[in-house]
Amino acid sequence: MFKWVMAAALAAGTMTGGWAARAAEYHEAPALAALVAQGKLPPVAKRLPDHPEVVKPVDQVGKYGGALRSAIRGDSDHNAILKMVGPQGLTRWAPDYSHPVPNLAESWEMSPDATTYTFHLRPGAKWSDGAPFTADDITFVVNYLFNDKQFFAAPPSQYVVAGKPIRAEKVDEYTVKLIAAAPYLRLPEVLATPLGQHPTLYAMHYCKQFTPKYNPDLPKLLAATHQPDWPTLFRQKCGDIEIPARWANPEKPTMDPWIIQTPYTGGASQVIMRRNPYFWQVDTAGNQLPYIDRLDLKVISDVQAIVLAAIGGQLDLQVRHINTINNKPVLAQHAAQGGYSLEELTPTDSSAMALWFNQSTTNTKTRPWLTSKDFRVALSLGIDRNEINEIVFLGQGRPWQIGPLPGDKFYDKRLGTQYTDYDPAKANAMLDKLGLNKRDGNGFRLTPSGEKLFLTVDCMVVDTAAIDTMELIKKQWAKIGIDLGINTMERSLYYERGQNATYDIGTYAVPGGRNPTLDPRALVAIHTLDSRQSIPWVKWYTTGGKQGEEPSPGMKERMKLWDEWKQSADPAKADALFRQVLSLAADGFEVVGTVSAVTTYGVRSNKLGNVPPSMPNAWDYPNPAPTLPQQYYFK
Amino acid sequence: MGRFIFRRLLGMGPFLLLVSISVFMLIKLTPGDFVQNYAAALAASGETVDDAMLAAMRQRYGLDQPLIVQYWDWISGVVRGDFGYSFQWQQPVVNLIGERMGLTLVLSVSTLLFTWAVALPIGVYSAVRRYSFGDYFFTLLGFIGLAVPGFLLGLVLMYVGVSVFHSDVGGLFSPPFIDAPWSLARVRDLMAHLWIPMVILGTSGAASLIRIMRANLLDQLHQPYVDTARAKGLSEFTLLVRYPIRVALNPFVSTIGWVLPNLVSGSVILSIVLNLPTAGPLLLQALLGQDQYLAGAFLLLMCTLTVVGTLLSDILLALLDPRIRFQ
Repeated sequence: MFKWVMAAALAAGTMTGGWAARAAEYHEAPALAALVAQGKLPPVAKRLPDHPEVVKPVDQVGKYGGALRSAIRGDSDHNAILKMVGPQGLTRWAPDYSHPVPNLAESWEMSPDATTYTFHLRPGAKWSDGAPFTADDITFVVNYLFNDKQFFAAPPSQYVVAGKPIRAEKVDEYTVKLIAAAPYLRLPEVLATPLGQHPTLYAMHYCKQFTPKYNPDLPKLLAATHQPDWPTLFRQKCGDIEIPARWANPEKPTMDPWIIQTPYTGGASQVIMRRNPYFWQVDTAGNQLPYIDRLDLKVISDVQAIVLAAIGGQLDLQVRHINTINNKPVLAQHAAQGGYSLEELTPTDSSAMALWFNQSTTNTKTRPWLTSKDFRVALSLGIDRNEINEIVFLGQGRPWQIGPLPGDKFYDKRLGTQYTDYDPAKANAMLDKLGLNKRDGNGFRLTPSGEKLFLTVDCMVVDTAAIDTMELIKKQWAKIGIDLGINTMERSLYYERGQNATYDIGTYAVPGGRNPTLDPRALVAIHTLDSRQSIPWVKWYTTGGKQGEEPSPGMKERMKLWDEWKQSADPAKADALFRQVLSLAADGFEVVGTVSAVTTYGVRSNKLGNVPPSMPNAWDYPNPAPTLPQQYYFK
Repeated sequence: MGRFIFRRLLGMGPFLLLVSISVFMLIKLTPGDFVQNYAAALAASGETVDDAMLAAMRQRYGLDQPLIVQYWDWISGVVRGDFGYSFQWQQPVVNLIGERMGLTLVLSVSTLLFTWAVALPIGVYSAVRRYSFGDYFFTLLGFIGLAVPGFLLGLVLMYVGVSVFHSDVGGLFSPPFIDAPWSLARVRDLMAHLWIPMVILGTSGAASLIRIMRANLLDQLHQPYVDTARAKGLSEFTLLVRYPIRVALNPFVSTIGWVLPNLVSGSVILSIVLNLPTAGPLLLQALLGQDQYLAGAFLLLMCTLTVVGTLLSDILLALLDPRIRFQ
């Protein structure tokens, strides 16, 4: 039929092999078998769906048992838990992050106009309390919660197409249609990301008791629990995608491989998750997953202490917090002693550090220069990227601007490599030609009105790579007569200055080295907080021109193409539109990159099997979840 | 005495009110608010947040109200014993603070006892045997203790612990005991872990107290009353304990006043490094995340404890030293 279905079917084929398990051949963990023998749990064949997903283990069929130790931090590190158990959405990412594959939906079809998707759920799949998972759970969220103004003042943007939220239509118990107001080619990809989990996040039979629509006694419940309103109570009990409360209620049914035993609360010093007896995947030998009994997630606030725990061999898998480039030597050095191997985390970002020239700065003295492309080109030629790469990134990257990395289907050579040569002579000549040909006693350039041209750059205190890089660039730019001040500040101030457009240059990594369509913030000014080439342009875009500042013609063209791309029904045409965006972004050149994103490293215990030696590291691909930790096992 | 205490207690009310105002102002002075911080945290993981969604959150948490209204909502709740809600954890502030205060109390009191147990005898010894080998030895040790920052000592000890003894990284319990109910075995486990932070936290305190004790005692040892007592034939030990040490003890008692607020704010960095489930790290998180009611409750608690602690040490001082009068 269509490319998506083909890809999905193909991927399902490679993932599952051709093996079909018969009910009698299912096996389960010894602890669960004991509960079945005592009559406290139905037999495994009754707990699994009629056709459980058959997962082909990475290396071999594993064995049951063990507790996987990992570390999370104390301050709002809820996503660390999410990344271990995975966002169990209708779809998930293929392990290589190339395309979405079936997950809670065993298959799906797209209508020719790309507006309607029919998802086929797994008959007999159950929530972690044994209640069936059906189309009603999806319509509950999509048709009720998305449209409730109290619960979502505005439905999350990933489910809004052409100004309207998607809606759901129940075909039968196990078939549901998601219908968008306009073509939405990206939907299966969006559903595979952590933010696309909403349709399968809430178990209706449990969560409906916290809603006014389904519970007439709600006022009593609110009074008894001392909650101000029902959305607060609902989120406290059933969670939401990115709040810690999601992992604070052991009663809440989920579809995850492990469920909460010791919750993640403000005072928690560890979070323990135990296996979900109703988990809906089996391996090729018919063993119900997960293999590993428990996740022991220790709360450690200090990153250095996590590194210490890792090199002491106290963490079986740690890919978060310790994966900075400067930790690599110490992790490598202690590998033998700690009994672990390095887990390679391939980057999905584009540029490890970039300079976002504020096109709408409120600083009238620097604004004419920052908005001049020739000025930005000259400054880019004045950056010695090899020196930055050697000193800050230990030689692991290469000189790079922005945009998809080589190997991605959208790779655009000009966008990635233009103006990356170090050429101070040419930079000086260009700056002279722009009218900055007079200099003061220290050799810094003066504007035609005789004032010294002084640029400032904003860096977050936590972003040490940005600060180190800017220190080098400050020296390099002094050679072309540009005086730079480095402002380091706390995150909240950095974001406040972003909103007020009071900075000259912002610093941040650039996403989009792989699957650039998921986050094009550096290419098109659409990210309300982080499109630092101009937040007023973003406001102009999101309010339809009512607020903010009118963007440059090139950016307006990109915004138009981006809107067309979003609503395109033809994949080939969509790709062509996005290539135009990339090419126009290369012309615009508002964001100047330094060095390409570098591979970083986590640790993996040598006793842990079925972990691929390398995995992409991203938020949209919430590693390690898409590599299926439920099929990891202890050798 | 009774009147003194009564007057002090009476003065505490208005003082704490002023404190609560400045605490609230200080929290609100930082740029942005909780919602902006939340949005920034989401942005760091790649999400675009709708402005309408943020506005709705501000409204739900009352962050769009004028400062004075927000303050009134907070303080009127506090007076009734309702400290508000932590935005970050979606939990009442009282529960969050209560969870952590018990262990913090244990740690602080044991640290104090350790500090005194070390500083008192060494201080006396150094003063009495001035310029002896022992004096020099302890002086050197004391200066090292003062100079080494606690968190560094913590990291070094932890490194040794992990790489040599394969002990756990930080924490006050071994994993099986973390969430276990209280039992004799759990207390033993706590004791096995408690000494590391106790020693680290106590080191710099003990070092400075040794110096103070030594200096104070030296002042006293050459006073005429000491010579008089000695001339009258009092034994050296009785003399020392009964008169000069009693006077020199004043600084020890004064420090009791600082111990109580230290329950909350002391050793924040060390607690983070050593991963102790005490109040400090939670306070720091609340401040960084601008979780205003949680942070406000902590700061208010600290100020109250300072006031109470000062009162306590004043009373103790008066009992100990007859030269101090209430007027």
